[in-house]
Amino acid sequence: MAVKVLILEDNPVARSFLCRVVRESFSDTIVITEAGDLETARRHISLTGGPRGLHGVDPFKLILVDLELPDGNGMELLTELAQYPATKIVTTLYSDDDHLFPALQRGADGYLLKEDRFEVLVEELQKIVRGQPPLSPAIARRLLTHFRHSLGGGEGQAPDSGFAPISGFQTSRPVPIEKPLDHERLTPRESEVLTYLSKGFTIKEIASLMGIKWFTVNDHIKSIYKKLNVSSRAEAAVLASKQGLV
Amino acid sequence: MASHTSATQLPEFVPSDGATGTNPPSSSGDSGFDASTLERSLGRRLRPARWMGWRLRALVAAALLGCLGLFLLIRSLAATPQVDAVWRANAQGQLELVAAHDPQLQPLEGRQLLGIVGSDGAVLVVDALVLQRSARWLVSDAQRDRHAQLQEQLAQVFMHPEVKLFFRDGAMVTVKCKPRGVAALGALFWLLSALALVLYLIAMVVLLSRPSLRNLLYAVMSTCQAGNLLFIAVESAPGIGLPAGFAHWDLVARVTFDLLTAAAIVHATSVHPRPLPARHVVSTISWLVAFVLAGLVAVGRLPEVWWWAQADAIGSGLISMALLSWSYKIEPNPFAIVLRRFGTVAAGTLALLTVAVAAASRQPGMQFNIAAVGSVIWYVFLASLLLLVPFLSRSQQVMREFSMLAGISTVASSLDLLFVAMFSLGQFASLTLSLFLSLGLYAGARQWILNQMLGDNMLTTERMFEQLYRIAREVEVHPEKTRELLSRLLRELFEPLELMHVERSSTHARVVGDGSTMLVPVPHLVEDAEHSSSGSVVIRFARRGKRMFTQEDARLTDRIVEQLRRAVAFDKAVEQGRSEERTRIAQDLHDDIGARLLTLMYKAPNPEMEDYLRHTLQDLKTLTRGLAASSHRLTHAAAEWKADITQRLTAAHCDLRWTFSCDREIVLTVVQWSALTRMLRELVSNTISHSQATQVDVDITFERNAFQLRVSDDGIGRNPQAWSHGLGLGGVRKRVKLMGGEVEWRENLPRGITCCVRIPELVEKR
Repeated sequence: MAVKVLILEDNPVARSFLCRVVRESFSDTIVITEAGDLETARRHISLTGGPRGLHGVDPFKLILVDLELPDGNGMELLTELAQYPATKIVTTLYSDDDHLFPALQRGADGYLLKEDRFEVLVEELQKIVRGQPPLSPAIARRLLTHFRHSLGGGEGQAPDSGFAPISGFQTSRPVPIEKPLDHERLTPRESEVLTYLSKGFTIKEIASLMGIKWFTVNDHIKSIYKKLNVSSRAEAAVLASKQGLV
Repeated sequence: MASHTSATQLPEFVPSDGATGTNPPSSSGDSGFDASTLERSLGRRLRPARWMGWRLRALVAAALLGCLGLFLLIRSLAATPQVDAVWRANAQGQLELVAAHDPQLQPLEGRQLLGIVGSDGAVLVVDALVLQRSARWLVSDAQRDRHAQLQEQLAQVFMHPEVKLFFRDGAMVTVKCKPRGVAALGALFWLLSALALVLYLIAMVVLLSRPSLRNLLYAVMSTCQAGNLLFIAVESAPGIGLPAGFAHWDLVARVTFDLLTAAAIVHATSVHPRPLPARHVVSTISWLVAFVLAGLVAVGRLPEVWWWAQADAIGSGLISMALLSWSYKIEPNPFAIVLRRFGTVAAGTLALLTVAVAAASRQPGMQFNIAAVGSVIWYVFLASLLLLVPFLSRSQQVMREFSMLAGISTVASSLDLLFVAMFSLGQFASLTLSLFLSLGLYAGARQWILNQMLGDNMLTTERMFEQLYRIAREVEVHPEKTRELLSRLLRELFEPLELMHVERSSTHARVVGDGSTMLVPVPHLVEDAEHSSSGSVVIRFARRGKRMFTQEDARLTDRIVEQLRRAVAFDKAVEQGRSEERTRIAQDLHDDIGARLLTLMYKAPNPEMEDYLRHTLQDLKTLTRGLAASSHRLTHAAAEWKADITQRLTAAHCDLRWTFSCDREIVLTVVQWSALTRMLRELVSNTISHSQATQVDVDITFERNAFQLRVSDDGIGRNPQAWSHGLGLGGVRKRVKLMGGEVEWRENLPRGITCCVRIPELVEKR
């Protein structure tokens, strides 16, 4: 059976380029659906069982989403597709954590930088699909802060990242009594991986520093990705229940 | 009630052994001040007003009592029989009729009165001494006895319904003695009795708002002086003659009042502002002396009363000065200094007056009037000082000026007396001369005295503004240091001897402890819950213990804090505006130009063009990111450089050996970050595209402000001097030069090229 791919990208040149990247990356038969705006993308998705991915319908296996679109932000679609059973990848020109982090929080499985070379893109795409998402130092830093702060200091055990504020005057924050749930906390190993990543170490270097295999490092990264998504969903749920939406 | 709380706010400073452990910024740790003491004394203010009830009732009762007493006094005075006429002393020491309502007397105006004959035929020879109402300021005992006798006789004579007045040229007039009436008491009487009442009420308020030894002493002084003023008021009523028995009691009472005041002053200065070790001895002796002298005066056994009283008063003044100096040496409380100044002025003028009156009494042709006026003014001066003391930190402008005027007037009248007595000047000449002198003294010394009373001027406005804005900037950068920065500002502003932090917070700056201490709440300058510090800064002993805090200081501090808040808000607004503008430009550049470049890149006809465009696009991204982000830490930047270079070299099948070290973290400016990022990318790109290297070493060190970057490869490049520097390497040179550094390329052995960039001063600039 053919693998269904949705590419959401407003620039036609970029779209066809991404099509080439996708075809090059996989040996399976590929059926690519192209969309130039959110509206079209939503229509295609509802044709294949809606954003929840109903059973019995053949859903997209891979969705590439551009962030800047004529009728909105790709982030909206990512939010809608939170339950959709596909690998969701953000394709963007923005490589900074301010843009990428929210996308990852909304359940993106990875990101591709559009200006990268064709070969690089192919390789990155394969890695993401295989479960080796990229994690730049800036995003790793963001993740560390996210897990350390927003979840109430549950990560006190995380190794010092070396970039704590030098001025060092931190008022002691009130430590919440209830411990955060497991899915909201990083394991010490995961924090360690994140810390190394934030300092610019490569996967290989981290593996040798920690004395583990490189694919174990990758597993940690994958798990961090998941926890980020789950924790932000949990946060959203808490927020929603507080506002009486649920 | 608020107006007197500071007077009664006498924090009992426990002599601690410097256990100020919780407040390290205190400049002098062993000043014997304990933060908990302050807390306690602050807490006391807030004590529920359980006692307020009986105190208020007692105060009302005391006020009613005072008014009732005054009313009875006025009644009895008004009932005193008198001859309705105005008299004055002439140069020969005789009594001269000035004005009269009686038509019989009117033709005799300007004549001298020789005697008064009662209806029983007794003849009373009068002279100017009858005009001297009080025996207190008569120097010699003989004169005092004569005065008492004369006044007694006068009172007897006026008991008769009619008296005959003998004048020098033989005229004799029979006049009726009528009760004086309330209207004839004279303006001076009303003024003085009002002042006396006010002083008495203030004394009661101070005493009742917090009954304590110190306040009791204050009440004793003030009540005694109020009594003195009341006697003076009675004596000031126009006409001749006093109620029967008044002259004798007047002397006893006034001397006793003065002695008690002197003893109370000595006692008070021995316990306030700081209890002195020898306070028991000193106070016991002073009270003993006062009581013995007063007792002797009461039984009439004390010779040379005036000299004894003056000696006791002046001596007590000097002792108080000494005690205050001692107290200041132990604890530099500015209150002691101010009290000492007051005391010096009061004692000094009293001494001057004493000398003047003593000198004048030796002259024939007595200056009774001036002596009397001088002493009256001095008492008013003392009363005004007493009124001022509870409100020192509230800087009562009017009261201060008034007391200064009273002081200067005392000096003027004393000088007048002295000139007449010692240089035999005419009355008019001496009056003019002394007036001129005193006015000159007043005009010249006024500013100086004012400054001395409350300390020197503050920091110049200019410097203060500079400080304010510098600190505002720092607060913005380090909001967590607000307290420290505020402390620094206050330190420069007031030069306090002690500075500490307490947890208590309030909305406004407050002056406590008689102006020795000011509490300044730490403001929340930045809306940042994490960094906001609370509590207050407590500063004590302004201007190294030479100046008292006033309400104006508190207001000034509040305004300064407000200005600081505004400055921070303004800076933040400006910074936010700039940042928004930058972000907007960055967004536009990125979205429009970036998308076009991307399209161009995808359509590039050949790989070179594609690479070139990719490069341009990456530069654009670096630029826009630099614009959007406000700060980049060096370590963060290095991590990103490494990730970026690793990815690119991996794609080019080339190994990276990366070393990075820095001796401290710095924040790169946008310009520095973008320049370094693009430079590094350029160098790596150059290596990738031209050198065919298999390994690239990147070595970055930041040590003692010097930044060093070394990129070396093992490629085929040779003879770098001969390279033509195109856009890329030229750009590297330009950027290095802009940052004040230098760059050089040299050959490696056995192969490859090393590029060395050195920037000697890469410091973060604010």
